[in-house]
Amino acid sequence: MTEPKVIMSLMFFTMAFAFYAATALFYIGYWLLRREWIGQTATIMAYIAALATTMVLIARAGESGHAPFSNLYESMILFVWAITIGYLWLEHRYKIKVIGAFVMTISFLAVLSASLLPYRFKSVEPLNPALQSKWKWLVGILEPMGLERYAIGWLDFHVFTTFIGYAAFAIAFGLSIMYLLKERSEARKKGNFLVDSFPDTRILDELSYRGIAWGFPFLSLGIISGAIWANYAWGTYWSWDPKETWSLITWFVYAAYLHARVTRGWRGKKSAYLSIAGFIAVVFLYWGVSFILPGLHAYA
Amino acid sequence: MTEQVGGAASGVKKRAWYGSVWRFFASVKLTIFVLIALALSSIIGTVIEQNQPIESYYIEYGERWGDIIRTLQLDDMYHSVWFVAQLVLLMINIIACTYERFPPKWRSLLRKVDDFDPSIIDRFSNREAIELGATLGRARDRVIEVLRKNRYKIKLDRSQGDEVKLYASRGLIGRFGSDITHVSLFVIIIGAIYGSFWGYRDFRPILVGSMIRVPDADFALRLDKFWIDYYDTGQIRQYNSLLTVIEDGKEVLTKQIWVNEPLYYKGIRFYQSSYGTSWNRIKEAEIALKRLDSNKVDPPFSVKWGEVSKVPGSKYSVRLVGYVSDFAFDERTRTVFSKSGETNNPAVQIEVYNGEDLIARPWLFFNFPGLIHAIPGTQYDLVLMGFRTIPYSGISITKDPGTNVVWVGTGIMGIGFFLAFFVYHRRIWVSIKASGNGTIVRMGGVINKNPLGFEREFKDIVEAVKETDSRA
Repeated sequence: MTEPKVIMSLMFFTMAFAFYAATALFYIGYWLLRREWIGQTATIMAYIAALATTMVLIARAGESGHAPFSNLYESMILFVWAITIGYLWLEHRYKIKVIGAFVMTISFLAVLSASLLPYRFKSVEPLNPALQSKWKWLVGILEPMGLERYAIGWLDFHVFTTFIGYAAFAIAFGLSIMYLLKERSEARKKGNFLVDSFPDTRILDELSYRGIAWGFPFLSLGIISGAIWANYAWGTYWSWDPKETWSLITWFVYAAYLHARVTRGWRGKKSAYLSIAGFIAVVFLYWGVSFILPGLHAYA
Repeated sequence: MTEQVGGAASGVKKRAWYGSVWRFFASVKLTIFVLIALALSSIIGTVIEQNQPIESYYIEYGERWGDIIRTLQLDDMYHSVWFVAQLVLLMINIIACTYERFPPKWRSLLRKVDDFDPSIIDRFSNREAIELGATLGRARDRVIEVLRKNRYKIKLDRSQGDEVKLYASRGLIGRFGSDITHVSLFVIIIGAIYGSFWGYRDFRPILVGSMIRVPDADFALRLDKFWIDYYDTGQIRQYNSLLTVIEDGKEVLTKQIWVNEPLYYKGIRFYQSSYGTSWNRIKEAEIALKRLDSNKVDPPFSVKWGEVSKVPGSKYSVRLVGYVSDFAFDERTRTVFSKSGETNNPAVQIEVYNGEDLIARPWLFFNFPGLIHAIPGTQYDLVLMGFRTIPYSGISITKDPGTNVVWVGTGIMGIGFFLAFFVYHRRIWVSIKASGNGTIVRMGGVINKNPLGFEREFKDIVEAVKETDSRA
């Protein structure tokens, strides 16, 4: 069942899907075969995939008349978009392409799961009463210019900051897995074809910390903006709703990670495990709570 | 903390005991363990539904688990003694860690650097020695210029014979980000505790046109109107209520509220939270006379709430005195009440008059006509044919004087995070020595975070120093 309304975003989504599949394959190919041209193709594919994702978001906003952050499918696309942009920046800055084999595979898996969502999570809907949260001061500024329908509000800010956080954690997760693989082979003092092309454990550890150092403040901003919004919409800034509680659980795990990194005996391997545990909490916070635990966030 | 060691053995022993307890509370390992414990234990409350009547846990989980849930307060876990104890432990841990680490950190970071031994430069992993053709004085000027261009502050500039020593740093304030974040956690928790003791949360359904007294305040609230907006597609767009604040019998303020747009007056917020139809009042009822001998029902007549209507075609009249939407009877107090807000079993109570004499006060059931003979001892009965309900708007009322404290805390947290995660403390030591016609510049640097980024920055600074030389 396809509404004519969503044809543009669907077209770009299909395009993005194909390019993410190609991106993940080429990065894995580069990792295993180590041919320079494969790596270069992978990067080009990743840029096209990023562009297609951007277009999905824009088309979706045009079709629904509001920022594309209002259901699970739209948020998945935002998630993938942020991971890809984050990764491309990382590659541009540090020129380590083998990371793409892990991070862009996460992007592809996320696109895949978005495409497998049942229709009711994908449909274009007008915003329900609780999601109408435009900032009045912004509407006031834009109204004289006739642009008030482009005003954003708590919904947009809350979802956007939260998903920047999730994406940073996803990148850190990929890097932590690489760290553990590399660390194991270093500890055995035996070369391993699969991990020889990985950067040093020192670099992997540092980069995954950088991911969390971005993710943690953004997750916090997401939680805080959610609290401010909840104070407007539900009359209380914290109500121990499952989504809120799981965001706090995730926050605790990453706070533990940040403290572990400055503690002797907890650096390296143990903090990498905490980073992985943190991302598992993110996945549960994002998907698990939406599907398993009922609550105020039931719609996304 | 500059306590002298006492001579007596008992004193030493006491200090040792104190010391190990103190070390326990002031260790970052405790922080990690408490954070992980909080994360793991918080999961329980998302799996077991919170704040249900205690019996429901026994029904769902059985006798044994029911006992465990009750004993461990898992039905209201986030307010249980043991959960709050973890938060208290975390707070004690933060205080102890700060007390232990902050003063020495403050002293060492703010200590004025008068001089340094140039050999420390060889110990940094970021170090470089370059030869310049410039004289000592000009080389010094160039290095300072490059450092300033990179936004470093020159903290030491000292000449000793044929050697110049420079020390420069940037982003010192980033070192205090973690401390500011810890303070902000305190402020947030104080705000939350303050609000939970001095605030309240209440819910009142207000019938359209009626008024309620606001708890803990000297004003009243009236609901003038409730309505729902729809999209063209028929989906609900918004729920709206028009509220008027009444103080000392005067209307002070009228405001339209909707979801996401509460009314705020004198520290109390009123939210649109639900709506429905009244369960104990109606506008009017439609009642019909039934003749039991012929089993015929006359056309209905209407009677307004609290008013009297004549029953056409008879000598009786009725007054509408009561309504429940879901009929129930309390045996003990012998009173009628509504079991729920749903219109499951609506019934109205009327008073039946024969002239001036009250002869009966029957309940008429909409779903069960004829259950009670309304005019006993006669061939007449009354049947409830219909009724008009009154909509109500469910208004949540909250007072939380701690909210603003919490917001101040989150603001401080934002500053703390910015400093902790995005402002790095970089320090560079430079020794410039005359050598032949030119100079040898040795530079070494450290950063507290982001070493990969600093490697580049350090290289750039070194390159810039070299470049200025080739320009000259």
